[in-house]
Amino acid sequence: MDALWEGLKEAIRLIVTGDAALRDIAWRTVVVSGTATLFAMAVGVPAGYALARGRFRGRTVILGIVNTGMGMPPVVIGLVVWLMLVRSGPFGGFELVYTKRAMVIAQFLIAVPLVVGFTAAAIQSLPRDLPDLLAILGAGPVRRLWLLAKEAQLGILAAVMAGFGGVVSEVGASMTVGGNLQGETRVLTTAIVTETSRGENEKAMALGIVLLAMAFAVNIALTSVQQRRRG
Amino acid sequence: MDVRIEGLRFHRGRRIVLDVPSLVLADGRTTALVGPNGAGKSTLLRLIAGLERPTAGRVLLGGVSASPRAARERVSYAFQEAIFLSDSVRANIELGLRLRGAGRAERRRRRRAEEAAAVFGIEALLDRPARRLSGGEAQRANLARALSLRAPITLLDEPLSGLDGPARRQLLHALPAMLRQFATTTVVVTHDRDEALRLADDIAVLIDGRLRVAGPRATTFGSPPDAETAAFMGYTLLPVEGATCAIAPRGLRIGPGDHEFAMAVDEVLDFGVRREVWGRIAGVVVSVGLSAGEGPLPAEIQVSATSRATVFFRHERTPDDETFTNPGVDSPVLPA
Repeated sequence: MDALWEGLKEAIRLIVTGDAALRDIAWRTVVVSGTATLFAMAVGVPAGYALARGRFRGRTVILGIVNTGMGMPPVVIGLVVWLMLVRSGPFGGFELVYTKRAMVIAQFLIAVPLVVGFTAAAIQSLPRDLPDLLAILGAGPVRRLWLLAKEAQLGILAAVMAGFGGVVSEVGASMTVGGNLQGETRVLTTAIVTETSRGENEKAMALGIVLLAMAFAVNIALTSVQQRRRG
Repeated sequence: MDVRIEGLRFHRGRRIVLDVPSLVLADGRTTALVGPNGAGKSTLLRLIAGLERPTAGRVLLGGVSASPRAARERVSYAFQEAIFLSDSVRANIELGLRLRGAGRAERRRRRRAEEAAAVFGIEALLDRPARRLSGGEAQRANLARALSLRAPITLLDEPLSGLDGPARRQLLHALPAMLRQFATTTVVVTHDRDEALRLADDIAVLIDGRLRVAGPRATTFGSPPDAETAAFMGYTLLPVEGATCAIAPRGLRIGPGDHEFAMAVDEVLDFGVRREVWGRIAGVVVSVGLSAGEGPLPAEIQVSATSRATVFFRHERTPDDETFTNPGVDSPVLPA
């Protein structure tokens, strides 16, 4: 209980004093997880649409893979990405391992199934004939996708929240492919692990509270957008 | 603009969903596409709208092959379910006009949407959220959206489905005039015989994906080509000496000529201006309506039927109090 209380006090102190290290780690967390989420949206929303509306061979298998991917342990994805990016791996020549880009790739792979799955569910909940109605009214493929995304925005915002929440809170993949290098690839979750292993429980708790506050801030912003549009 | 269907086949997997060797939906006329559930009516509409691609054959919209692009310029379509975007009725009606560039200027677009809304009596609802409309209002908005486009070809899939009795009657009564006002080639899908008779100039009957008969309303309903089509049209099928005689729907009236089979009278109900005779012809229970002034009722009524049974539609008030007019044709004796 003491650690929790001390952690809260430490968190307030770090935030109020504008601790440079904390600001650096928090900003890196936002950039890495935000970028991964944006890429996941760019790929996941159209893919979710295609899975929801498409009638092609193997669709059920792909949906099964997506659903499995939604529950895939991040550390496993991290391990696979690490094996791909490590110097002896097939993409070793790009020298991406232990960089922020590697972390974005791993987090992208974690977020994509979440965005695809939530988007597919949101699109499937729309009236079955809506895409055909929009087509017959005169909307081309891109316009149709945009209008459908607007209609399914509650579900798609849920997909964004799930994707961002999934990657900002994961530690296994970031640790494996990023290496937790101070000033380079350390993000809030890996920093928490480091401080805990050092016995700096108050500092770890403070970082945890900052992480929670950040996740809460992002989600409350998205939720307010979601609920405003619903009303 | 006419719609020509040539050698059309549509398969879903190995199942033949639709087989229409030839059909012309004439320019400026309203054609009812009728048939039981699962007959392929909506699939044919989707093929005309370019939303499905035929397995074989083609659909020509004014000489141009049906495709999503061709349909965007030529077709408007009111789906069976009144679907709206989560926006106002006005925005929903204007959407198609905006997407097609039909009303580039906002003022012109507004005017066209308002005109269509006025025709369908929903002007007061234009600023209401479309998804909060009642069933009847939503169906009117659905039709207004489709017809506001003033496309050369209008497809209406079960336009009166989901409406309660009064709303259905009201729209059924008003729709023919509304369609005339927009003057397009119209295809109405329905499984209701009365709707088809009220709304359409021509009728095409689809059963099990096959086009059974098509043509002007009176001749189509007067000449069902087979027992299945006749039964769908509401005829009573009577087996008579190895053939099947199709007795027209809505009762029968004895015509002049030679008698071939007899009706044994079980009961005569007297309603003053009209008398109803219940009996059996070849074991099938039949009711016969007789207007006053047709003379004394015989104990045994004989129906004229040599090669064709002289059986007429009866002009009467339907249960929903609409005057039913019909062509008064002979009932055919169907091939065995």
